[in-house]
Amino acid sequence: MNRADRTLNLFRKLPLLERVLKTRIFQPVLLLITLAVFTLVILTGLFGTPVGSRNFGIIFVWIVWWGLLIILLVPFLGRFWCAVCPIPAPGEWLQRRSIITKRLPKLRTLNKRWPRRLKNMWLQNFGFLGVALFSTIILTRPTVSALVLLGFIVLGVVLSVFYRNRVFCRYVCPVGGFIGLYSMVSPLELRVRDPQVCRDHTTKDCVTGNANGYGCPWMVFPGDLQRNTYCGLCMECVKTCPKNNIALNLRPPGTDLWAAEERRIDEAYKSFIMLTCALVYSVVLLGPWGWLKGWANMESLLHWLMYAGGFLAANLLLVPGIFALTGAASWLLARRAVPLRRLFIDFSYTLVPMGLAAWVAFSLGFVLINGSYALQVLSDPFGWGWNLFGSADALWTPAAPQIIGFLQTGVLIAGLMFSVRTAHKIARQHVRDPRVAFRMLLPISGTLTAVTLAFLWLYLG
Amino acid sequence: MTRVEGLARFALLLIVCALPAGLLGYQYGLRPVLDRGAGIVEIRAYAPESGGFSVKSVNAVVGQPVTLRFTSMDVVHGIAIGPGLGIDLGPVDPGKHREVTLTFDQPGTYTYYCTTWCSADHWRMRGVIEVRDPANPDVFPPAQIDPVIERLIAEGIDIDARVDMNALAAGAKSAHGSGHSPAEVTSALEFSRQPSAARGEALVAEASVVIPDDLRTLDWQRTHTPGEALDALHTANPAQGHDVLADAVAYLWTRPADDVARAVYNANCAACHGEFGSADGPASLQTASDVVLFSDPAYMFTMRGDVLYAKIRRGGMGTDMPNFGTLFTPDETWALVDYLWSLTFARDRHVNDR
Repeated sequence: MNRADRTLNLFRKLPLLERVLKTRIFQPVLLLITLAVFTLVILTGLFGTPVGSRNFGIIFVWIVWWGLLIILLVPFLGRFWCAVCPIPAPGEWLQRRSIITKRLPKLRTLNKRWPRRLKNMWLQNFGFLGVALFSTIILTRPTVSALVLLGFIVLGVVLSVFYRNRVFCRYVCPVGGFIGLYSMVSPLELRVRDPQVCRDHTTKDCVTGNANGYGCPWMVFPGDLQRNTYCGLCMECVKTCPKNNIALNLRPPGTDLWAAEERRIDEAYKSFIMLTCALVYSVVLLGPWGWLKGWANMESLLHWLMYAGGFLAANLLLVPGIFALTGAASWLLARRAVPLRRLFIDFSYTLVPMGLAAWVAFSLGFVLINGSYALQVLSDPFGWGWNLFGSADALWTPAAPQIIGFLQTGVLIAGLMFSVRTAHKIARQHVRDPRVAFRMLLPISGTLTAVTLAFLWLYLG
Repeated sequence: MTRVEGLARFALLLIVCALPAGLLGYQYGLRPVLDRGAGIVEIRAYAPESGGFSVKSVNAVVGQPVTLRFTSMDVVHGIAIGPGLGIDLGPVDPGKHREVTLTFDQPGTYTYYCTTWCSADHWRMRGVIEVRDPANPDVFPPAQIDPVIERLIAEGIDIDARVDMNALAAGAKSAHGSGHSPAEVTSALEFSRQPSAARGEALVAEASVVIPDDLRTLDWQRTHTPGEALDALHTANPAQGHDVLADAVAYLWTRPADDVARAVYNANCAACHGEFGSADGPASLQTASDVVLFSDPAYMFTMRGDVLYAKIRRGGMGTDMPNFGTLFTPDETWALVDYLWSLTFARDRHVNDR
């Protein structure tokens, strides 16, 4: 079965969707809406009540937005959030000197060159680790939360002054990194209909831009796209392609994970970091060890330093080390037919479905339990005693707490099966003999199962 | 610029400028003006280390209603206003508010205060309402002198005298004056069982113990220690045992259960002194000096009622004991003193209540 048989071009089925996405107002309208919410988040964070559960900023960012992002948007729509995220918008509008219309032939920046050695996910990896280290503070203190988000938007603007396009999103944003990684699982993809058309096309309008739109802000050539990881779904290429060769496809989830030639060590570490953080958060925030939560919450500098040391060691050494051992076992079972480093990197992609499943399961635990706070803060976003929609006194009502455990179990088991299937496909990419591939699969499957059991124990035990 | 672009820029201007200006301008500019016009004083309640009440002093005028709107900004606070107004707005959750409208009929000073243990400095969370006479707005009634405290000072009683439990064991039957010989006192302050008002009541009912008339008077009880009463009973009942007479004193010093006093104690005292006076409240670990044990008969037998009254109203100098004279009326304070005696002498009542 070829690729075309496994995908469904939504533009062909829904011509109206293509027409909407081709209009220049589509993305800016959504950006203005999210920017309005973002402004309210910043204002409530800086001027509202310091009580997180009563503050719009905390509830809407870390429960509503996070829940939407990790439970719905990333698994089903890939990087769609990146298309409507307000953080890079001011910088992008400054570069373009316009919000909607295509005015200038070139972007207004100092046109600096982004360092070659930073053209990867490492900044995003360390940025995420930095945010994650302080997450118990950032996620609960409205002022800190607002300042961090404000810092992101300022950084986005500053980078847009020096560098062309969305350098912030592509190389810096700590959230964008994992959205890119996990969007590989998504059943939605933007691809070209016929790569040969792009190869033959001399002007490459999707890269250079034309009167209809800008060159790809994500610095991606759609003709080469094999994975969702770095496509921000901004739809500029849909507007600029004179050949009408861009398609928005539905496809079997996880197809990108088999794209063997693009696997890299920085992305491998992103998968380790994300899985480890899901595990650490589950232990610290949902586990019964209050003292550990106190350590993470900076109850004393010494305790926090111990927590930080353990956290970083788990992310950068322990979990990668366990997977290195797993990879080494597979390497030996494959009679060293594949370079060990290659196997280590490739097998790390088996953690993508499992990591996403772990985050979904973790998020279900607090989104469903605490989602009802959203009603209160909608009516009283600052905690100033307002009651705009009459729901300020809505009671905290956990949603379906009796089925959360079942949902988490289902998600984790599905993630495990998806990961094992990915591991099998990766093994078959390396060895033709199915028996050898099966042997290679055993260590990684065992490790994946052990990780799943650890999550299940944390959530259900 | 196209029309669509113009609209987008206008929307951006609304979001970045008008939205913040509108929200903050309303809350910090327009709302206070509207509230002032409606006679509403907006008071934000923060934990004391974050500033306490945003408004520390409210001016009111006799005969004119004033509405106080308390909004809790960080943790759960409780709001009450005293003395003598009987206003307790109860706990206020973060982000919630409570309102009360007051009309004063005479000039004076009142205090609004937090009644929920909100931080280690909870007791500092107070604000003042100064009520003036519109006819003489510059004249403010002077602070009233408390006759009980005045009398103690006149007597030369050191209200802040530290009670040394070792000294008690060695002799002093009263921490505040009358001394007794060591031999006499050592036996007087040792009890083989906790003195009990219930047992004392039965003894008195069956006339097993002779009680001198003056010991039954409220004035005598408030100006003498239970230890002195015990001495008097020993003299009047030489054949009775020490613990039996201690039960009789417990009975004399104990008033009927008072739920209001218990609520006042629990809201204001229990955080340090403990629910049953055992000095085991959560805040007792944070106080600079040892917290007094109301459950300890050896200590309470040395204490005069009027001294307890003075400590409550004036605070304990050199300790973390705050002053409550600006919160409670004298009658409320005496009710609280009576409640303290019950923590010593009617412990079974409290335990049973629980």
